[in-house]
Amino acid sequence: MRRLLFLRGAELLAFAVLGAIPLLVLNEYALGLLTLLSIYGILLIGLDVTVGYLGQVNLAQIAFLGLGGYAAGLVITRLGMGMGPALLAATALCLVLGGLLALPALRLEGPQFALATLSFAALSATALNELESLTGGAQGLSIAQPPIFGHILTKPQFYWLCLAFLALVWMLMRNLLASQWGRAFEALRDSPIATDAMGVGTYRHKVAAFALGSGLGGLAGGLYALNLGYLQPQSFGYEQMITLLLGVVLGGRKSLWGALVGASVIVLLPNLLSKHDLFLAFSGLGCAMALAAGLRGLVKKTTRPFQALAPVVAMGILVVGGFFVPNTEDWRKAIFALMLFSVVVGLPEGLMGFLTGFLAKLFRVPEAPLPEPSDLNSVLPTHPADGSPLLVLDHLKRYFGGVKAVDDLSMTVCSGSIHGLIGPNGSGKSTVVNVISGLYTPSGGRVLLHGQELPQGSLFRVARAGVARTFQNLQLFGELTALENVMVALKDVYRSPLPLVLLGLARPEERRAQADALALLELIGLKDQARAKAKDLTYGAQRFLEIARALARKPDLLILDEPAAGLAHPDVLQQIEIIKRVHQRGITIILIEHHMDVVSELCDAVTVLDGGKVIAEGTPDEVKRHPKVVEAYLGQPPETDSATPHTDGGAAPLPA
Amino acid sequence: MNAAIIGQMAISGALMGLVYALIAYGFQLTYATSKSINFGQGELVMLSAFFSLTLTNLGLTHWGLGLSYALMIPGGLLFGALMGLVVERAGVRLALEQKSEGWILLTIIIGLFFFSAAENIWGRDDRPFPTPISADPIHVLGVDVTRLELSVAVGVFAIMGLIELFKRRTLLGKAFEAVAADRDAAELMGISATRTVMLSYGLSGAVAALAGILVSPITTVGPTMASALILKAFSVAVVAGLDSGFGVVLVGMFLGVLESLASYYVGSGWREAPGLILLILALALRPTGVFGKATIRKV
Repeated sequence: MRRLLFLRGAELLAFAVLGAIPLLVLNEYALGLLTLLSIYGILLIGLDVTVGYLGQVNLAQIAFLGLGGYAAGLVITRLGMGMGPALLAATALCLVLGGLLALPALRLEGPQFALATLSFAALSATALNELESLTGGAQGLSIAQPPIFGHILTKPQFYWLCLAFLALVWMLMRNLLASQWGRAFEALRDSPIATDAMGVGTYRHKVAAFALGSGLGGLAGGLYALNLGYLQPQSFGYEQMITLLLGVVLGGRKSLWGALVGASVIVLLPNLLSKHDLFLAFSGLGCAMALAAGLRGLVKKTTRPFQALAPVVAMGILVVGGFFVPNTEDWRKAIFALMLFSVVVGLPEGLMGFLTGFLAKLFRVPEAPLPEPSDLNSVLPTHPADGSPLLVLDHLKRYFGGVKAVDDLSMTVCSGSIHGLIGPNGSGKSTVVNVISGLYTPSGGRVLLHGQELPQGSLFRVARAGVARTFQNLQLFGELTALENVMVALKDVYRSPLPLVLLGLARPEERRAQADALALLELIGLKDQARAKAKDLTYGAQRFLEIARALARKPDLLILDEPAAGLAHPDVLQQIEIIKRVHQRGITIILIEHHMDVVSELCDAVTVLDGGKVIAEGTPDEVKRHPKVVEAYLGQPPETDSATPHTDGGAAPLPA
Repeated sequence: MNAAIIGQMAISGALMGLVYALIAYGFQLTYATSKSINFGQGELVMLSAFFSLTLTNLGLTHWGLGLSYALMIPGGLLFGALMGLVVERAGVRLALEQKSEGWILLTIIIGLFFFSAAENIWGRDDRPFPTPISADPIHVLGVDVTRLELSVAVGVFAIMGLIELFKRRTLLGKAFEAVAADRDAAELMGISATRTVMLSYGLSGAVAALAGILVSPITTVGPTMASALILKAFSVAVVAGLDSGFGVVLVGMFLGVLESLASYYVGSGWREAPGLILLILALALRPTGVFGKATIRKV
């Protein structure tokens, strides 16, 4: 509670100060800067959704500022409508265009995503320039501010309007980003595959995030047009885009405060460059800070030499250059570049990221306490298990070119059992799991759950049908806490529609989700580390957490892909214990495992694969003695099996 | 609309398309070894063109145009390679070590710095680039082509051929291919992946420099000369796929023809549009490119 008061108090104070300035200082110039600050604040909050939360380099935001501006301008000049419809049109147009752009850009990561957005920006710049009859082309478009309720807003009034929009956007985004939506955005960044496999649809979240950010860009564009009263295509070019990125990165990603800090930097930068002495003073200060931070990093060995020295060199060039160059305005781009370079290399968390850590130490505001864990019976109700066939693989095939990874495989998994799937390396176990869970589309055959065919080739739809899985190569959401990892996947908890979430009225649901997730963490013995980031957990704990996250789907069928791989012996024992506890709740489990002792202890039935085919089936004991199995693992005639300690090709040893 | 004009436009478009292909080939070189590309490659093209211009003008005070042009080429290529190494060291290596995508932002930033430097050193105006190759049209099969345009084709195929030969025939080239195929396995075989990535950035820089040298006698040299070029080179690289040298040539020529026809029919302001639309479409329909290999996701 104290933490909440503290954070909200800081926000209120900031907005109160910003709002009060025009009453105290009657300076037209300062007022103009403040208005721009609010507008850029909205723009950067929008950009931060993709750059910060989705973790993708988005070069289209400047285009949305332009498109929103022109949309608002045209609604006013051509249709003669007022401010409200203009802003609405600007936001709506960019929301839609952002969604449309996100559809093709959806499957893309990293450089391809950046390229797609860059092309979109270039394309819209071309359109704004060339559609002269509509936009006035290079001549520009003049917009007279329309009256609102019969009178034209004065400068301070318009500023208050922009500030009110910023406050509104701030509040809505804070609520959204603290909800399951914000967590899904971050999950998407860390592992799209796992996000899909947890039934959280990468598709709609990516589109939603991008459209949302673009819509905010459009709103900012509308306000920008009303503020300036004049638009030109050149104002929305590549260089301006770099400035926006500078704002987000320098301010700090994934932070509303960061966006505000970034916006102030963008607004103040031109003034800084126009005064030579001021520039020298600031670059000297920057250089000194980079030097101090770099030396500290080197002494404490927390940064690599390049990371410590490169910002110092860049800032040094800035200082030295400042003495030789009479007109810093000419070198504006180089100065941006050097500053941005120093920040990206030396301060990747941005100013706010740096300050948050510092402030947290200074004030020691405690985290809000977690609720009591829910009753496990309500989170994970016991399934009735009757031994009837739950999952049936019917002549399943999956080929990769000429390689028959799964070759006409049929098997049945009974409800309530733990079904082992073993076989030497390369025998097709993982492919089977990937086909069942929807990562691969089968080349032939069917997969039936409860007698009904499972969707093919979609992790998301299979997850929704009641199958959950873990991953052999861990696919945790590293930047999220253990608790949040489980909360992302929770099923049947989030029911509030988006508007309620935006207004912050979904808090009870959030508490319930925390309590449910805690119950699952308790089940795997990680309740005490609920607040630790997944990437900071021990390797064993990460393996356990994968299971808790899959359980949050309340699955009928749980697929564990080598849950004991690489675990130390005590962790293996704990993992066995966890799997037993899960099994007691009546959940059917498919277990892929190399540790034969784990398989023997847990499994009711075992299917052995080799070369994509079933070579043996039965209880663990039957299978161990099966001549074909021994041959597959040891590659020798069955007569010598008990005496041979060697295994081939890295396959795990079978206990004699 | 007669066929001769269409043919004329198609030929000059295709020749221009080879320049896009060459720049796109530079992307492929670095993508092969490091899965990264230089977003500031256009600035490298421009900077090298300016540097080569200065070299040529220096040479002109001592020798004739032919000799100074010939002597400038290796100098320009060397400069491009050096700048490529600068980009690798300052912008790419750290991000690759951290396995982050910070290189996207950093290469954009370094490009911006180069742009500003060129603007202030050589000025903001476009300048002609002297060349001994004649610009008089010659008739081939009813179509006018200049020797200058043909020199572009010769240059593009020459350097791409040389680099491909280098990759196949020399030990260093095979190391390059090994890192491209499997970085970790190559490292285990004693090949330094870092040095190979450096090599690829050096080569990519030299390729960018050659693109600048070839194209600037036809267009002009100016700070913004590459901003349109680079967008189209991006399109070509992505549409063709980032691992098919043969694909970029085809797609580059196709795009060149397409845009020269588009500028004729729709208006010259729209000449960038086909490439951009093609890019977004290709990304949507086939993210690995028309000639690229689809990869199997493994978990």
